[in-house]
Amino acid sequence: MAHRSTKTRTALVSVTTLALALGASACSGSTSDGSSAGGKTFTYWSMWKEGEPQQKVIAAAIADFEKQSGDKVNVQWVGRQNITKLTAALNTHNVPDLVDGSWANTVPALVNTDQALGLSGAFADKTADGETASSVIPEKYTKSVDINLPSGQPWMLPYNVQTDAFWFNAAKYPELKTNPPKTWAEFITLLDKFKSQGVAPIAADGDVAGYNTYWITTLIDRTGGPGTMKTIASDKTGQAWKAPDVLAAAQKLEQLVKGGYFINGYTASKFPYQQTAFANNKAALIMMGSWLPTEAAAYEAPGFIPDSFPFPTTGTADSQRLDLSGFVVPKKAKNTATAQQFAAFFLGKKYQTMWAANGGIPLRTDVSVGASAQSEMTALKGAKTFHQINDGITFTGYATKVLNPADDQLFLGKITPQQFVDTMASTQADYWKSQS
Amino acid sequence: MTVSTREPSALPAASPRGRKGGGGIAHSRRRLFVPFVGPALAFYTLVFVVPTFVALWISLHQWAGSGPMKWVGVRNYTALVHDKIFLHALVNTLELLVVVGIAIFVLSFAMTLILRDMAGRKVARSIIFFPHLINALVYGALIGFVFNPGGLVNTVLKAFGVTKPPGWLAQDNLFSLIMVAMIFMTTGYYTTIIMAGVDRIPLYYYEDCAMAGANAWQRMRHVILPLTWDVFGVCAVLWTISSVKIFEIIWIFGASSSAPPTQTWTVAVYTYATGFAGDTLAYGAATAAAIVSLVLVSVLVVLLRRVMRRDVIEF
Repeated sequence: MAHRSTKTRTALVSVTTLALALGASACSGSTSDGSSAGGKTFTYWSMWKEGEPQQKVIAAAIADFEKQSGDKVNVQWVGRQNITKLTAALNTHNVPDLVDGSWANTVPALVNTDQALGLSGAFADKTADGETASSVIPEKYTKSVDINLPSGQPWMLPYNVQTDAFWFNAAKYPELKTNPPKTWAEFITLLDKFKSQGVAPIAADGDVAGYNTYWITTLIDRTGGPGTMKTIASDKTGQAWKAPDVLAAAQKLEQLVKGGYFINGYTASKFPYQQTAFANNKAALIMMGSWLPTEAAAYEAPGFIPDSFPFPTTGTADSQRLDLSGFVVPKKAKNTATAQQFAAFFLGKKYQTMWAANGGIPLRTDVSVGASAQSEMTALKGAKTFHQINDGITFTGYATKVLNPADDQLFLGKITPQQFVDTMASTQADYWKSQS
Repeated sequence: MTVSTREPSALPAASPRGRKGGGGIAHSRRRLFVPFVGPALAFYTLVFVVPTFVALWISLHQWAGSGPMKWVGVRNYTALVHDKIFLHALVNTLELLVVVGIAIFVLSFAMTLILRDMAGRKVARSIIFFPHLINALVYGALIGFVFNPGGLVNTVLKAFGVTKPPGWLAQDNLFSLIMVAMIFMTTGYYTTIIMAGVDRIPLYYYEDCAMAGANAWQRMRHVILPLTWDVFGVCAVLWTISSVKIFEIIWIFGASSSAPPTQTWTVAVYTYATGFAGDTLAYGAATAAAIVSLVLVSVLVVLLRRVMRRDVIEF
């Protein structure tokens, strides 16, 4: 059936696409033998757009790679829509040889559909400095984030790390750098202190559902460690939401909502209004990903020094968020060997250092990071366990249609924790019924 | 009043095959039918009919947009019926169609009547049409500036002593805001079309009214409405089709991240969010929703044309 479907779909591809595909294959020839004799071309659809700091790093690496190998990289700076574009292209013969994206975006499109190539080759290939790629990829990370196909081969060659934390202005609150709150009780005490000083304790752009879920995901994973939330989401009956621990996690979030700790108007503003408020000292803290310093640089108050501390513990679990982005090669690609060589090449220290200089967190742990990322790096190095965004849930449509709507209601103070867990239990049961 | 009516089907060009043996011209016309209509028909079939059937076929599968397809029969459709978000999106779509539609037509018609006798009507018409020319993205950029907690509206309200204004951009208020924005953006467009219809009415009907002592209401009821009824019909069909497709304004107003809040979804937004939004790659289910909206448009247009059908008035 699947074979027939593919054939029919292929037949429907327009003449233009076929012509393009023929043109592309005529140019590239058939050279996926893995030798590094040079003169080969591969196509790369990047998740970065021309002009972004990250794009400049990759462009520099491409220039060096082309000079050293004699190969040619046909790069398109597509932006974050590259995986959506790839999904359509996978039905044609015009498939790029290399793409990149976050773990959460590439799993549904490429891994769950069995279209990602095993990248043992890339892991064994040399970085720009000559060591094997696998030797510079922290095992601690790949043990925590599942990047393996059922065959055991990795499908992603990561090059970037993302985490999240509570951000603050170290110029204004230097004591938070030396003595951050570690437990929930200490955290609440700190928030009360801000409140008594007339400062809004936490800024939040409540219109970004994805940010809102950081809170409940982290709080739930704090009850039973990484994977707790995913286990609950996997329950076909939805009853797992009714466990007392889950209710307690939701109650902690309600404590912040009802306690008036979130900045005024967070329920009715448009991103990045509240993030801008934070960067202008109108709120003391914001819970945000590692990209915050880069993003807020454009509008932060003079003298603002972003720094961070990890999400407090509510029990014994203390995992840090860890998300990986990296290179993926579609199975259908033709010039996979050269594409993999470049992926490994990019892990060279030079590019990882450039990456860090732009405010990002590099994959390699032997590269020093910028001032704003140092606290995050310390937290990552010290962490024993990690959790991913949405606890690594990639059930199709689950976040958009099940988790986000109910979580928004809780986060924006429309429903009680009890109503939240009841809603989750029933919508999740419906969700799984519709998927069966 | 001297109005004559005739059936549209009696128009000579309406039905070339309808009349048998109409002499040489009719014969050559029939002979040229295939070479003239054929290419257009083939093109239409290729870009519309075939994709529609392919979509119908995709909607019977579970599919991530590429890779293996799993046959699921009508399950995507039964899932839609049970999906509260979809049903809400359907209600929103109909709300846009009916509530915004009525508002647009009442306002357009009222403006047409006011503008008819107004000095500087051409300038006024351009100003009213202007919001329609602006790209929806501009509204998206402006909405935060205007409605954020410290935005323009609240700053103005504060000057008037309102200290606790409503949360304009709160999830529950967003859809109302979108409806108002739609009315603002679209009224000028339909005013322009209806005005063109009203402008066609010869002056002597109005003179006739004045001589007969008809008041403004009677003039509208017996002259303007009947003579612009066909224009209204076309506008109603246009609005029905475009309202069911409303998408970008909701996306721009509501989606700061992967998708706008589900309270604001229309069927078109549901379709896109199901097929492409971040974690969702359910092309089969998305296509099923698209087919439902196609059926919805078709049924509504057919019904509307039946309801609006009147004899064409020639004048």
